[in-house]
Amino acid sequence: MNFEAVIGLEIHVEMKTRSKMFSASPNSFSRKPNSEVTVFDMAFPGTMPRLNKEAVRMAIRVANALHMKIDHELHFDRKNYFYPDLPKGFQITQQRRPIGSDGYLEIRKNGAKKKIGIERIHMEEDTCKQTHFVDYTLLDYNRAGVPLVEIVSRPEMHDGYEAMKYVEAIRNIVVYSGTSDGKMEEGSLRCDVNISLRPFGQKEFGTKVEIKNLNSLKNIQEAIEFERERQSALLLKGEKIRQETRRYDESRGETVLMRVKTDAVDYKYFPEPNIVPVKLSDEFVEDAIATCPELYDSKFERYLALGLAEKDAEIILSSPDMAAYFEGTLPSGCEAKEAANFLITEINSYLNKKGIAIGELGFDPLELGKITLLGKKEKLTHRQCADILFKCLDDHCSIDVAKKELHIEAMVDDEGAILSFVTAALDANPQSIADYKAGKERAISYLVGQVMKLSKGKAKPSAVMAKLREELAKR
Amino acid sequence: MKKVNRDVLIDASTRLLFSMKGEELDTLLEEFSILTKQMEMMKEVRGIEKFEPMTFPFDVSNSYLRDDVPAEPLSEEDVLKNAGNVKDGEIKLPKVVG
Repeated sequence: MNFEAVIGLEIHVEMKTRSKMFSASPNSFSRKPNSEVTVFDMAFPGTMPRLNKEAVRMAIRVANALHMKIDHELHFDRKNYFYPDLPKGFQITQQRRPIGSDGYLEIRKNGAKKKIGIERIHMEEDTCKQTHFVDYTLLDYNRAGVPLVEIVSRPEMHDGYEAMKYVEAIRNIVVYSGTSDGKMEEGSLRCDVNISLRPFGQKEFGTKVEIKNLNSLKNIQEAIEFERERQSALLLKGEKIRQETRRYDESRGETVLMRVKTDAVDYKYFPEPNIVPVKLSDEFVEDAIATCPELYDSKFERYLALGLAEKDAEIILSSPDMAAYFEGTLPSGCEAKEAANFLITEINSYLNKKGIAIGELGFDPLELGKITLLGKKEKLTHRQCADILFKCLDDHCSIDVAKKELHIEAMVDDEGAILSFVTAALDANPQSIADYKAGKERAISYLVGQVMKLSKGKAKPSAVMAKLREELAKR
Repeated sequence: MKKVNRDVLIDASTRLLFSMKGEELDTLLEEFSILTKQMEMMKEVRGIEKFEPMTFPFDVSNSYLRDDVPAEPLSEEDVLKNAGNVKDGEIKLPKVVG
């Protein structure tokens, strides 16, 4: 029997506000433990929560990008549990009335678009960071109170690829809306997967298994595929699936049991008495949406309209800094495609070689745009333009100085001049002519080299090749 | 509603990792007895089942949101002052997961 996987995802996104969700403690991802903590984060008696305006604005932007209904009245609840990561003994969240509900996003699969429903998005506070060792645990309260949005999908995905594309789309939205840096490996975007199997055609869901804390797109896809096979094998043996929580062991490529869920935990939710309902004006909500930076999908379509290939647009958009740099080249009047090529090949290889990020490049993107224009304006080859670029990057010099120091001059593509170089090369190399006539294609490469030598590297190679074939045919 | 008796309090305190003395349990039982009686009185109010429990005594809301401006946090010394055990600036406790 074959089974259909039913997959739903819960994603927690840390928002990059300057202060925390309910306290004015800095939210700057300090590496120094317990250095960004206020009395509220430590749950000192009498301290009161004060809701962060920017976090609300960000949550609205994400909800809008996910085509959700936005609640103009904010309600918060207490989720009660006792654990060291939560000094208050409860987490402030939005259980009854999430800020966004009933939305969707679209993913691409096999060239077609597929809609994935999203049940809710709500705001809450993060817990403190725990580091577990063999016989003790360390607590760092810097993370306690960091603003989160939790995005809960409907169980409408059916394989690891769809889940991976869904998370990628969410990441693009939170990164490009300026809500989060979306770094999964650093925990600013955390993903839990719920997966169950059922025979094809059956409406009822099977018993679901939760896979916690998946920290990369690759792991999400792999963990789901492993779990599909594991559950399928159990069902085929006639065994029942236990409701349990598992984690993904990357080194073994398999999910591992964490705990069996015997019964649902009762968090005894009740309305947060220290935050009265907050009414959001229409203007506030509309302004949050109107001031949202341009999102990934819009940029992607715009880049295609500028002539970029899909793959190139994806590479540039894989980093917001790269996208900003690319857009910085365009006011120079350069061709977008040409600038994208330089960015993807030359600039990327330079960054890799130096081990730096594009933000550390220290080279005005407008200048890169100008360099790419030299190809047409001054008839320089791509190689020559690249040499100028690298010289500018290494020496922090101007384009003119780089050209002068590299002795770069315009390529010769004047037909008369090329013909004279070609004629001279052919006259001096009768054996190469004979070889070419005898079918030795390599001979023409040698002749191109001779022409380039005679022209001192200034002849345009494509023009040389064309003229050589033309003249060889006559001899 | 679950009846609060001595066994329930001992079970709850064990789960919460509190060590409670006999007289403390007596005090709590007395307080719960008063609370339970007050709850029982609520049942005598007619038609109460038609209403949702309220969080606030009257319909109240505001539109206040705090500007996203960070303030000076506590010193690390103050943060760690109440911690029984500290290691490398972090609060150290017995391992809490298996």
